[in-house]
Amino acid sequence: MDHSEATREVLWNIGNVWLMYLMFAVSAGVAAYGLYIRIARWRRGREAVRFDRPAERLRLLLRHAAAQGRTVRERQAAIFHTFIYTGFIILTIATTVVLIEHDFGIPVMRGAFYLYFQSFIVDVFGALVLVGVLIAAVRRLFVKPKKLVYTDEALWILTAIFAIAVTGFLIEGWRIAATRDPWGSWSPLGYMVAQISSSVMSEGAMRTAHLIGWWTHAALVFGFIAWAPYTKMAHVVFGPLNIYTASLEPIGAALRPIDFEKAEVLGVKALSGFTWKDLADFDACTECGRCTSVCPANTVGKTLSPRDLILDLRALLHRAPIKRNANGADGGASEDVFDLPIVGVVESASPESLWACTTCAACVEACPVFIEQMPKIVDLRRYLVMEEADFPDTMQEAVTSLESRGHPFRGATASRVDWADGLNVKTINEARDAEVLLWVGCGGALIERNQKVVRATAQLLEKAGVRFAILGREEKCTGDPARRIGNEFLFEMLAKENAERLNNYGVKKIVTSCPHCFNTFRNEYPQFGGSYEVYHHSEYLARLVDEGRIRPVTADERSITFHDPCYLGRHNGVFDAPRKLVQIASRRGVVEMEQSRATSFCCGGGGGMSFIEEPKDKRVNQERARQILATGADLVAVGCPFCLTMLEDGVNARRGERDVRVMDVAEILWQSMNSENTEQTKDYGTNGKKPGD
Amino acid sequence: MNIIVCLKQILDPLIPVRDFRIDPELRAAVQGSASLVTNIFCENALETALQLRERAGGKITVLAFGAPSAEDSLRKALAMKADDAVLVVNDGNVHPDPMAVARVLAAAIRKIGAFDLVMLGRESGDWGAGQTGGLLAEELGVASVSFVDAIEVADGESHLKLHLKRQTDTGWERVAAPTPLVVTVTNDEHNVPRIPKTRDVMMSYRQPLAKWTLDELGIDAAAVRAGGDYYRVVDLSIPVRETKCELVSGDSLEDKVSDLAARILQVTRAM
Ligand code: SF4
Ligand code: SF4
Repeated sequence: MDHSEATREVLWNIGNVWLMYLMFAVSAGVAAYGLYIRIARWRRGREAVRFDRPAERLRLLLRHAAAQGRTVRERQAAIFHTFIYTGFIILTIATTVVLIEHDFGIPVMRGAFYLYFQSFIVDVFGALVLVGVLIAAVRRLFVKPKKLVYTDEALWILTAIFAIAVTGFLIEGWRIAATRDPWGSWSPLGYMVAQISSSVMSEGAMRTAHLIGWWTHAALVFGFIAWAPYTKMAHVVFGPLNIYTASLEPIGAALRPIDFEKAEVLGVKALSGFTWKDLADFDACTECGRCTSVCPANTVGKTLSPRDLILDLRALLHRAPIKRNANGADGGASEDVFDLPIVGVVESASPESLWACTTCAACVEACPVFIEQMPKIVDLRRYLVMEEADFPDTMQEAVTSLESRGHPFRGATASRVDWADGLNVKTINEARDAEVLLWVGCGGALIERNQKVVRATAQLLEKAGVRFAILGREEKCTGDPARRIGNEFLFEMLAKENAERLNNYGVKKIVTSCPHCFNTFRNEYPQFGGSYEVYHHSEYLARLVDEGRIRPVTADERSITFHDPCYLGRHNGVFDAPRKLVQIASRRGVVEMEQSRATSFCCGGGGGMSFIEEPKDKRVNQERARQILATGADLVAVGCPFCLTMLEDGVNARRGERDVRVMDVAEILWQSMNSENTEQTKDYGTNGKKPGD
Repeated sequence: MNIIVCLKQILDPLIPVRDFRIDPELRAAVQGSASLVTNIFCENALETALQLRERAGGKITVLAFGAPSAEDSLRKALAMKADDAVLVVNDGNVHPDPMAVARVLAAAIRKIGAFDLVMLGRESGDWGAGQTGGLLAEELGVASVSFVDAIEVADGESHLKLHLKRQTDTGWERVAAPTPLVVTVTNDEHNVPRIPKTRDVMMSYRQPLAKWTLDELGIDAAAVRAGGDYYRVVDLSIPVRETKCELVSGDSLEDKVSDLAARILQVTRAM
């Protein structure tokens, strides 16, 4: 047979075609309305600029919507979702081809294209949709992963897709059989149906079955199109849109400043406090539960669940009218849901949950449609802290201490310069020509264990001949804990004060061993008048090693694993520099934990959580300690004063199992400079001259 | 009820030990890089007053006598929702004695007007003299109750309008007192100072705050500026703690024990 003649009759056996067009029009109308009311509600949100930089956005879209960058990170989901997703795309293209052929009268459904694509490929992908739906159903009904939300809606969606695919194959088969289609075998599944049917049914019966089947299929398809925007299937539209409008900044820059002059409400009290993008986030959620499954607080059994927060807020949003309720403002009968206080009304936004978030952003990183859960949690905290002054007592103590002493550690007995006893470290006031400012940080200066880290760092810088200085007693907290706890006002004051001081000293380059300070300087200070070249000490030290200014001489024999600090890794994408330091200082390289790099698991200390006493049986650091022990490593390297404290507590609590030491990468490097360099792990004298004296 | 709460701004008592310095000439602590805070007992007094106002209504005026920086303490009190604030600016001796302070406060209170209750902290975290409350009551010619941690307004017509709970060395007492009254307040789990709302902190900077000079009060301003003559600090020093480590010697346990005993005797005799 000549392939070039291959085609089929479109709408064979179908009369009253106008009815199909009518169904299509109605279904499109209902679907459009469904999309419209969602978008109309977003438009009630506050402003956000999310359509700038189109080239970058397009790239993001290709990578994460088209190529499903994040979706495929998870095996089960990767398989079934890829099957259904690609099947949908192929089938939509096929339908468009039919449209072009039939309605525009352009003959495209011909020849090799008809056979290879329109018949064979379409059939195969249709079959994949069926398989995908079956996998999803088995997962939902039998495997039952904890992270999913079990709704009837989800099952009905699977049923509908399944029915559409099955009816599609049936009518294809009946058509092939009844028309004795010479090209029928190019559609393997349809051909199979045709073979079976023609052995048990008469031609007339198949014609009738085809007619009924065809209209059923059409009704299902159009019904599904109409219904989808009202279900989580809306993610087909809103998912890609959400990816296109995602934040292009590093996660560490996700928190917005507040205009204190203009803000009517500080933080987010009600839906009306969110931007349109926040509201769009709610509608984009696919209910996949990845965010909650990676949430450290949730993992250790706390009530916080970012997925539930997003879904509950979506449910609340859907109760809101699309226009401001005229009665609402003056306390009329029906208050506008848009103004309803969220905390207290929305179950998953309970204070207990909100005060469990470490702001680790594992949720943000995991979300396939780029929803930003963590900044919303901070928005709600802001309201509690600044408008209600309602937050945990121990956090209040930290905030009060920040206000009056410029550091969050109430009762700290060390001064800002004690750590430098006996070292030749100068303040910037004494050494105005310093090229680098070593930002010590409150943790580094005031917590005894961390003083050793700063000491090692300073000694390494000195050894490398870097002209550096510190602020000494003039240093104040960068404001990170205040900001994550939700006291934006205090953060802004500290940021402006620090930026002014640094600018007065003409500081250009900052090196710090605290990832929180690092993130704040790098991503947040530019908005408050402070723009510097900022390095985490691991980055700076790695560079000094590269330049040959630091030469390790001995290699650590122990097996070492590395814990990624959230604010260094996930928030800022610095993964390699600290690993490199471990690599060069040890003989055996880095053993990775089950969760590392971008999907690393928090130590439990961020977001002000260091200032809260966690219940004994629900401690994030102990879960991380479990992962550390599971590697069999003797030593866990860290790059953050908070991680150091949290993980030391964590592994100590599991001491019965095995002894593991916790050391900062700078300490490990310093030790490798000289086997004698254990000075920093010993206690040092207190008679040395201190900088600034 | 008209309540006046006196607040004192002091050097942060939580200053790291090694940052604490004394100026031997001035016989006073050096501020250095340490911050200034409101004396905690004064904040307990303010918190008690705020709770009393929530139950009994009325008005709270906060009053401070101190350096211009003491305005911060008053602003914070306004943020905690005190109604009015008055600062008497001290342009003389930085550490006037309690009698001088009491005279200034009494004059300022007379200028503020009628009051039912004056509340102070039981003592300040810097000098810890604990005298100002009693002396102030004396100056104002009214009764005083010290170490109070709870105040209730009695129902009915009794002239003993206030029921107070005060801490004693062995427990607590309940007393009733007429107004006007001066009380000094001590800390208790119920009067932990509240955290002001940020909104109120912002507003506090826009609220009026009266600033009076010593000369406006009709007292012997010169004597106050000189620091008063109630008592004088003669010497001030940081105690030096010395620790010495000696090893007990001897071959047998018995030798060691007798060596230890001998040394203990030596040391105790020397004391
Ligand atoms: S930021 Fe971390 S702790 Fe907070 S909700 Fe997300 S995953 Fe959970
Ligand atoms: S917020 Fe994102 S990660 Fe979480 S359930 Fe929704 S789609 Fe999944």
